Amino acid sequence: MRPMEFHEPATLDAAAALLAADGEARCLAGGATLVAMMNARLVEPSALVSLRRIEELRGIDAEGDGFCIGAMTPHRVTAADGRLAGGHAVVREAAAVIANPSVRNMGTMGGSIAFADPAADYPPALVAIGAEIEIVARDGQRRIGAADFFTDWYETVLGPGELISAIHLPGAPAGAVGVYDKLARVEGDFATASAAVVLAMAGDACSHLSIAVGGCGPTPLRLAEAESALIGSGLDAEAVQRAGEMLAQASDPVDDVRASADYRRLVIPRLVARAISRAITGARAVL
Amino acid sequence: MKIEDSFIVQASRDRVWAAIIDPERIAPCIPGCESIEISGPNCYRARVSFAVGPIKASFNLEVEVTEETPPSFVASTTRGEEGTRASVLTAHNELHLVTLEDGSTEVRYVSDVSIVGRLGRFGLGVMKKKAAALGVEFAEAFRARVEQDEAA
Repeated sequence: MRPMEFHEPATLDAAAALLAADGEARCLAGGATLVAMMNARLVEPSALVSLRRIEELRGIDAEGDGFCIGAMTPHRVTAADGRLAGGHAVVREAAAVIANPSVRNMGTMGGSIAFADPAADYPPALVAIGAEIEIVARDGQRRIGAADFFTDWYETVLGPGELISAIHLPGAPAGAVGVYDKLARVEGDFATASAAVVLAMAGDACSHLSIAVGGCGPTPLRLAEAESALIGSGLDAEAVQRAGEMLAQASDPVDDVRASADYRRLVIPRLVARAISRAITGARAVL
Repeated sequence: MKIEDSFIVQASRDRVWAAIIDPERIAPCIPGCESIEISGPNCYRARVSFAVGPIKASFNLEVEVTEETPPSFVASTTRGEEGTRASVLTAHNELHLVTLEDGSTEVRYVSDVSIVGRLGRFGLGVMKKKAAALGVEFAEAFRARVEQDEAA
């Protein structure tokens, strides 16, 4: 085993400079995944750049009608923030069902999405709410929509020397309700499949809808045809089922220890229907 | 895990066969193949690297051709390990060349791969998707190569 350097910069600039200087260095956020992978010798970084001491990466701030979530905000904090209500509740609900209390204490939103496990909880929630990921490098910063941030199995647009600084949640439509529904073998497991829904009703008709399916392909799955088929409708059970089947058709799940690909395709419509049904109930309560 | 696919090359079966058995021509088509050399009769040694997300792996592979029926069939076994023996890979591969009605050639391959060790702990479901994607990448590179040689 080769020796590894450990850095604990106090500023984002210093962290970006360290990453720029060493292409094999990795950011250490909460360590919930990275340290486990290092223990399994799956990754062997030349250096760890801990983000723990960088204050500006922590906490959730209101930003217009939306929120700015610092990349180092632990899941526990996100799960407990009552301001993440309405459409934004999709992110809070996702945070609340990640793994177990120990992981929710240590793990961070930036760390989770940088690893981009397709069965993780944040990716579909952030895609459903239309979040933007803020990325910093030594020579500047950029923002990219969550749907474009995830590119393949465990792969993102993050290049060498880049790190996630914040996640911006845009404002949600008035009266919107966000729901995250996860099917897992046991509580705290990665999702066998999951559905994130942000929905608003105008009277009996659906006025806004986004659906993102997790755990059933390389990246969260969102399908414009499935959503447009439902927007303006009364969301009757048959139409919702058909939209769920379109998503199942477009999915690309794996066979793994959690479930077969066929099983995942089978549960997608049911999971989507369950999430939409709960969102409708929530939206009626808001009206 | 079993990886099975096929692709069509616009060239005669003899031409495709000649390319398949020529390490100099096939190596550049294999994604992540850094070197290949003939290590004995029907034996090749290759170094191949790939990455899944943050996980990078580099294997030293020994490929032995176990059965050959020119110009239509070749079977081989692959054995290899990472430099540190952290993972061990074994594979049985079969490749069929079939002449189609229009004179082009269909390449069908099936590979039964097992990986034990550190990479085995990582989800095999994703590994299989990755392997299938590499297979498609190889097919495109190989087809382009043979069709380009054909045109030359």
